[in-house]
Amino acid sequence: MKRFVIPGEKLEGRPNAHYYREGNNYYSQVFGILEKKDNFLKIVPLKGKYMPHKGDYVIGIVIDVKYGGVIVDINSSHFAFLPTKNSLNYKDIVSAEVIDIDEVRNATLGNERKLFGGEIIEINPVRIPRVIGKNNSMLKLLKDKTGCSFFVGRNGRIWIKGKNSPILADAIFKIEREAHTSGLTERIEKYLDEMLKG
Amino acid sequence: MGMKKEGLKLFENGKRIDGRAYDELRPIKMEVGVLKRADGSCYLEWGGNKVLAAVYGPRECLPRHTQDPLKARINYRYNMAPFSTDERVRPGPSRRSIEISKLSKEALEHVIFTEYFPKTSIDIFVEILQADAGTRCAGLTAASLALADAGIPMKSLITACAAGKIDGKVVLDLGKLEDNFGEADLPIAYMPRTKELVYLQMDGDLTKDEFKEALRLALKGCDEIYRIQRDALKKAYEGEVNGR
Repeated sequence: MKRFVIPGEKLEGRPNAHYYREGNNYYSQVFGILEKKDNFLKIVPLKGKYMPHKGDYVIGIVIDVKYGGVIVDINSSHFAFLPTKNSLNYKDIVSAEVIDIDEVRNATLGNERKLFGGEIIEINPVRIPRVIGKNNSMLKLLKDKTGCSFFVGRNGRIWIKGKNSPILADAIFKIEREAHTSGLTERIEKYLDEMLKG
Repeated sequence: MGMKKEGLKLFENGKRIDGRAYDELRPIKMEVGVLKRADGSCYLEWGGNKVLAAVYGPRECLPRHTQDPLKARINYRYNMAPFSTDERVRPGPSRRSIEISKLSKEALEHVIFTEYFPKTSIDIFVEILQADAGTRCAGLTAASLALADAGIPMKSLITACAAGKIDGKVVLDLGKLEDNFGEADLPIAYMPRTKELVYLQMDGDLTKDEFKEALRLALKGCDEIYRIQRDALKKAYEGEVNGR
């Protein structure tokens, strides 16, 4: 069962996250959707800045070069630090893994790879799981149909490169718009077939 | 409280000058997510008031010496457009708008979990496009919706409403004429869940009993507005729940 929750709304039990407690009661912190399965409550916020988690892969833009590494904009409330000996310059685009987050939300990145050429599109970070799909089904579909190389960052940025990249970008925006509907994979498949033919 | 025209009756035969009952709100309309570039936004119409609120952030707080290493900084800007009233408003912050901005900011600091975003700022811009009495309440109501739309964690929404006194009668939600020629105005804001007041100002004089009555009326108005706020949020994302 699904329903809306509004900041300060009392909940039936303790959800996974985005809640606060007062006395013996639990309240929602955000505006989102409450999913109830068996006795398990889950709050999915509908919007919000990306909050880095350990192990996430993100796409960042270098905004400053320091002595031991670079400062990277990861589309979050805070910038991240990427310690590296590779020469990275201002405005370079990298994909990297979030290695660590400290108590003041400063993230440290690692496993970086510089991305050459291509372009970045930005969507709501909440929608990223839909672009990936169950067992990467949507990713596989997009990759097979368009033949583009692309990389999906958890922070809502997607790097795409290839001949059909405008069609791919349109398809991704379509996924973002219709993320909540069912049968999306089939519709995207149809959409891509049509676009690639024309 | 300005000079009243001779013979102007604000309250007559149980009806007000615009035909409302003493405990009736002006028509209110809210829309969420109207600005694409903002993280959260809200457009609100409340009687003749037209208010646009936008929220940006949490984002890096600049200049850096204003950063707080323990919590987010909230910037609230209440601004009246030059064309918002009959007489042109001189652009830029005035004594009045600085005061309203400060108090509204402090009201919102009570509900936002600022400690989740150290060293950042949350910027709230409230533009009054058309003013018709009660703009600070309209601004705060819109700002709290825009914050929820931006996905910023909060203890509760904030709901604001005013009550006042005209021709010796305590009434809810003063209109322009009532505000100008009435005897008192009491804007409040509160958290509907805990019933805690986060904003209270008073202009004019009320006796102790009148104050209690005005507060009761204003809280009643707030509850009604809270319902409209919730509906506005849900309406903006209706497809998300029903579409699956």
